[in-house]
Amino acid sequence: MRRLACLVLLAAAPLLIGGCAAMAVAPIAAIAYKGASKATEAARPITDSEEYYVGRAVAARILGKYKLDQNPKLTQYVNEVGETVARKSSRPNPFRGYHFAVLDTQEVNAFACPGGIIFITRGLIQTCNSEDQLAAVLAHEVGHVANKDGINSISQARWTEVWTAMGKEAVTMYGGSVAAGLVSLFEGSIDDVFKTIVVNGYSRQAEETADAAALTELTKAGYDPSAMVALLTALEAKGKGASSGIFKTHPPTSERLARVKTSVGQSPAESQGEKIRTERFKKMAS
Amino acid sequence: MRRLVGYSKFTRYLLALGLALVLLGPAVCWGEVLKVSQPNQSLYPDPDFASPPVGPVPEGAEVNVERQAGDWYKVEYQGKTGWLNRQAFPPPATSSKFSLGGLLTGAPVKQTSSDEVALAGKGFTPEVESGYRAKHPEMNFAQVDRIESLRVDSATLQAFIQEGDLKP
Repeated sequence: MRRLACLVLLAAAPLLIGGCAAMAVAPIAAIAYKGASKATEAARPITDSEEYYVGRAVAARILGKYKLDQNPKLTQYVNEVGETVARKSSRPNPFRGYHFAVLDTQEVNAFACPGGIIFITRGLIQTCNSEDQLAAVLAHEVGHVANKDGINSISQARWTEVWTAMGKEAVTMYGGSVAAGLVSLFEGSIDDVFKTIVVNGYSRQAEETADAAALTELTKAGYDPSAMVALLTALEAKGKGASSGIFKTHPPTSERLARVKTSVGQSPAESQGEKIRTERFKKMAS
Repeated sequence: MRRLVGYSKFTRYLLALGLALVLLGPAVCWGEVLKVSQPNQSLYPDPDFASPPVGPVPEGAEVNVERQAGDWYKVEYQGKTGWLNRQAFPPPATSSKFSLGGLLTGAPVKQTSSDEVALAGKGFTPEVESGYRAKHPEMNFAQVDRIESLRVDSATLQAFIQEGDLKP
């Protein structure tokens, strides 16, 4: 038995002696990935970091269509309002946090990229009359991120293909070019998400859920949830006869308005805090 | 099992240690210094993104690895200890080293496509994004980086919330 123990130790010796030395040559990250070379990574939901990389590419694609607003004060302000509501959402801390940006266009719209980058257009900011209404828009978009609506718009068939590509068999399947195969699937996923959020819009149910989430976020953050009613009323007036931007990608505003009205009670009298918020909004949005 | 009773405690300890090392391989190397290769990384008090970050760790920073738990590394950086996600680090280098663990557990002997397999196993990663960017140079990732670089610090946000009579 003593001989057996010696043999086992002898076999382990290179690990004891050379383990750390070998690590100094190969980055430790190699260890982190040792589980990744399993023959097949079982079908799994998309991870937060994968969602983040898809979101970055969707954002880059949106920035190919719209110009980024260059007013740093307005961007900072939108981020402050956005962060205030995002921290009250059901997903307060996505992979690398929420980031809000303004698009320099008069089109009335807002986009939630998977992972936490949220765009609002100048046109939509100007449609709002107060900080509480701006908060309502951002809370709705945060709701889409929290519900993973963007990432869920990647077609099931494509994601199944990604799972397949994540297996060792993929080396054979893609003729040894898994990287190219994954880039191509990544590209397709960006198309799916972009098409959904910019062209076709989310499902009616996803919009209803995002509206409900926004009301919760607004209330928890101390904003007046009835600002959502005021915002939708303004949007309804602006959208009469319009068929582009937010009016194309969202369910009819009248439907949303009716639903939100039933969830929100009477609008309270304007508080001192709300006055201050509206003042600072007007200063920024002008 | 009865046969082991006849051996000294020391022999049994050595046997267990040797077997563990052979089977597990070099899973963790304490004291390793690792360079952060990705921007916008943060140190977390727990291995969980939901916990509020302890502080940022810039790209290029060197951290001392204390241990590993799944996708997370417990590290020390500038006197602070916390957890960094594996995304902070570079992808593994090509390795053609002899693997005793692999030999014993039947891991693939053929190494030529190990990079490809490892890459595939990770799904959508910075490497895949790089491939996408190379294919689409017209995409404005520089502006996306700019958007991500803006962070409202916690003191500013608190002041903003307080001024607007909002809830912290």
